[in-house]
Amino acid sequence: MSLLRSIAGGLRSLFRKEHVSKELEEELNGFLEMAAEEKRKQGMSRQDARRAVRLERGNVEVAKGIVQVAGWESFIETCWQDLRFALRTLLKSPSFTAIAVLTLALGIGANTAVFTVVNAVLLRPMPFPESDRLFLVSLAPRGGPFEWQPGISDRDYLSFRDQDQAFEKVASFTKGTTANLTGAGDPLQIPVAYVTTEFFPTLRTNPETGRGFLAGEDEPGRDDVVVLGNEIWKEQFGSDAGILGKTIRLDGADRTVIGVMPPGFAFPGVKAWLPLAVRVDEHNSFTRPVVGRLKPGISPQQAEAALEAFTEHRPHGPGESKSERMPQIIPLKDLFVANIRPSLLVFTGAVSLVLLIACVNVANLFLVRAAGRREEMAVRSALGADRWRLVRQLLTESIVLSSAGGVAGLFMAFWGVPALLALAPPGRVPRTELIRIDHWVLGFNFGISTITGVLFGLAPAFGVLRRDAHDLLSQAGRSVTGGQERLRGALAISEIALALMLLSGAGLMLKSFLRLRSVNPGFVAQNVMTATMDLPDSAYRTAGQMHAFHTRTLAELSHLPGAAVVGAVNLLPLGEALTMGDFQVEGGLRPPGFLVDKPCVSPDYFRAMGIRLLRGREFTERDNKTGPGVVIVSQSVAQTLWPDEDPVGKRISMEDHPKPGDWLTVVGVVDDLKQQALAKSSDPAIYQPYLQVSYPFFLSHMTFVVRTTMPSESVASGMRAILRDVDKDQPISIASMDNLLATTIAEPQFEARLLAAFALIALTLTIVGVYGVLSYSVAQRTQEIGLRMALGAQRVDVLQMLLRKALVVTSAGIVIGEAGSLAFARALANFLFEVKPSDPVTFAAVALLLASSALAACYIPARRATGVDPMVALRYE
Amino acid sequence: MADKPSDLVQGTLDMLILKTLALEPMHGYGIAVRLEQMSKGVFRLNAGSLFVAFQRLQRAGLIRSEWKATENSRRAKYYVLTDQGRKRLNSETREWGRQVAAIARILEAS
Repeated sequence: MSLLRSIAGGLRSLFRKEHVSKELEEELNGFLEMAAEEKRKQGMSRQDARRAVRLERGNVEVAKGIVQVAGWESFIETCWQDLRFALRTLLKSPSFTAIAVLTLALGIGANTAVFTVVNAVLLRPMPFPESDRLFLVSLAPRGGPFEWQPGISDRDYLSFRDQDQAFEKVASFTKGTTANLTGAGDPLQIPVAYVTTEFFPTLRTNPETGRGFLAGEDEPGRDDVVVLGNEIWKEQFGSDAGILGKTIRLDGADRTVIGVMPPGFAFPGVKAWLPLAVRVDEHNSFTRPVVGRLKPGISPQQAEAALEAFTEHRPHGPGESKSERMPQIIPLKDLFVANIRPSLLVFTGAVSLVLLIACVNVANLFLVRAAGRREEMAVRSALGADRWRLVRQLLTESIVLSSAGGVAGLFMAFWGVPALLALAPPGRVPRTELIRIDHWVLGFNFGISTITGVLFGLAPAFGVLRRDAHDLLSQAGRSVTGGQERLRGALAISEIALALMLLSGAGLMLKSFLRLRSVNPGFVAQNVMTATMDLPDSAYRTAGQMHAFHTRTLAELSHLPGAAVVGAVNLLPLGEALTMGDFQVEGGLRPPGFLVDKPCVSPDYFRAMGIRLLRGREFTERDNKTGPGVVIVSQSVAQTLWPDEDPVGKRISMEDHPKPGDWLTVVGVVDDLKQQALAKSSDPAIYQPYLQVSYPFFLSHMTFVVRTTMPSESVASGMRAILRDVDKDQPISIASMDNLLATTIAEPQFEARLLAAFALIALTLTIVGVYGVLSYSVAQRTQEIGLRMALGAQRVDVLQMLLRKALVVTSAGIVIGEAGSLAFARALANFLFEVKPSDPVTFAAVALLLASSALAACYIPARRATGVDPMVALRYE
Repeated sequence: MADKPSDLVQGTLDMLILKTLALEPMHGYGIAVRLEQMSKGVFRLNAGSLFVAFQRLQRAGLIRSEWKATENSRRAKYYVLTDQGRKRLNSETREWGRQVAAIARILEAS
């Protein structure tokens, strides 16, 4: 109550200032007159009475001042005064203000932009009710290419689901699967998820219209149903209100639409959901992600302990030990963000360094300006402003500046974030739909603006605090103040140190990227066009049908003008898929754990891709169903299995228990190539001719590769036409091998470029900052320099003296910066390819670059100083 | 002797003003005179500290004010004790009594 009244009273004084002040004045006048009247009654003259009262009780103006200052509103009022004064002073020196605001806008803008992404991608919760209770349950195999993919094999999932006590519900789903949508415009490949019927209830999200999957709807015969995402319902079906009950064609099969999800629901990044039945298959076991909602009161740690206990007792597959699986309970969000978190954190670190440098720069500018304003401060202090009031004034100015920088930075982020995302490799940044400038971003922007303002405002403020009014006045005329000089030197040193950290980080990333780019993939990517198709098993039921399709397509493509060699492979190198499998060696033992990639290829594939044949022969048209079984092995397979023998003529089998007809003869050896990624080691591979492969699973996904005699892009339309002609219902994706190769290193390229951009900003700011400090210190020493020269010092001596100082500052910065750089580089270790975090060459090069830039920045003011006419210098001031 | 409120025990001036107003509504000068009379000239208050106290009490809701004519038909702001102010005066008086007694006991004991 009384707080409210106090606020009301204060507001009244603020907004009806005239009125309140008049009233107080009238009351005070009355008070003093009454006192004077009393005195007159005692026999004083009117004038004496007035004087006596003024002595005893004080005068109206003073009393008024005391009363007015006592309320809280006077604080606001002085703030308002400070603010107006700050604006006036800042506008009086527009170039200073512009440079400071621009510097801060760069720093704050970069931070706001990165935070906007971090906020959406890492910090915002998943858009489900009580999403903090949702976790991934994972028993991923330890080591190997699938380690980082959280998931559970079907076999384990079924027994886990039956035993589990920690979760309310669990559901399994597929990630990264697609389906061909036909019959609604052009054939379209859309991302879909096959999900168990508990999927929607686990996420506690129901379709907006219609229903989710019922128990038992995963059974064959009942599973021809689909739930559509809102987006595709709008785009492909024109928001058809009567969509429920209609059928759509997915992968050539009819499916009845039973529901449409609410807008914004796309988990796990798909446009439609299909029922999934989890069954145990004797030969193959799929591994899929599993999501569970924890029961109330159960912590993730408890759930993980339970999962560990389950892992101890779970039935093992053949030849499997329990230590091969990692029991993990992972926040659901990590399914998307675990891969990108490290690089976002590195960017966050980098932009905070940029902001720190910007802060140091502006603090320096402020110090220089404060020196010029010493006289003003002295006068104001002498007129009665206390020191805190002066400090407050300076802080107000710096906060006004940083707020202006913050607003400009917000605009930078507004334009910069889309640019940032456009530069990022497509599909790399998850949850982009959440990226926007929301109240969190605004709060962050406001927060760092204020903190920044206080940080760089403090430096000159301390200068004021240290001296009292007398000092201020007596020093006003002179310009040499050792303390400030030292402070500025320290700022320049820290600036160089910070810049060195960023530059070394960027240098390491660039070097690593160049190393990566020069890796030999094992094939020749230039002038190769690829076209990938997925054949749905509804339209192509048997291997024979698929063979017919591939053979016909290969024949048609070979007639294409510009096509030199045409080949096909089921899993393209550096693509997204990989098969790893075991095999048997005739008369020998396969080394334990030696798994190989098993591509199916057409006869001309090796020539089309430019993969070198090292021994024996390539596949031919005669290596078909009726011919004897043959394989070609990669060099590492040959060396591992038959180190000192000729591999050609040896026999292996893909069957676990080979019958006499299952043995395949090695007819050739080819170069190893990078199947997974340039940064990974080459994968041993055993190639089979596609016509001798009879599992449809290995044939349905096929990439045709065409080595062209002309620029490869011009062949693309011809390829598309041919594939359309062979089967018009299947979506095709066409890309040049060069582009695919570039895509696989787009991410490190993006990281290196972004870090280099930040480092460049840092370097520029630092050079400007160092230049500012040095040229100011030279200007301050003009008199001294003049004196030295008048006494006989040569230009070279003066130049040396000044550059020595610069050298001291630079080397101190570099020495301190090296320590920080090592720490920053260690954080980068996981991003580096064949470059050590402590790479001496990079560090030396970066230090040299920084030192020479800093010295160049100092040379200009130093040169100017030596041109000083001693007479002019001595009369300076 | 004490002409600044800071020389008074903290908060004492507020209590004394409330006490003065407990009898009848009064204007500023009247309050000052009454305080001086009652204290036999010990307290002599200047306008600044007195009016800051008025503002404080008013914002705390312990007193309110209205413009009225004085007996000499001059316009003056009269301060009136509110119910809340009366309650506060009672509690403060009790508290003061306890403190004085306690201090007295300590001083006598030595």
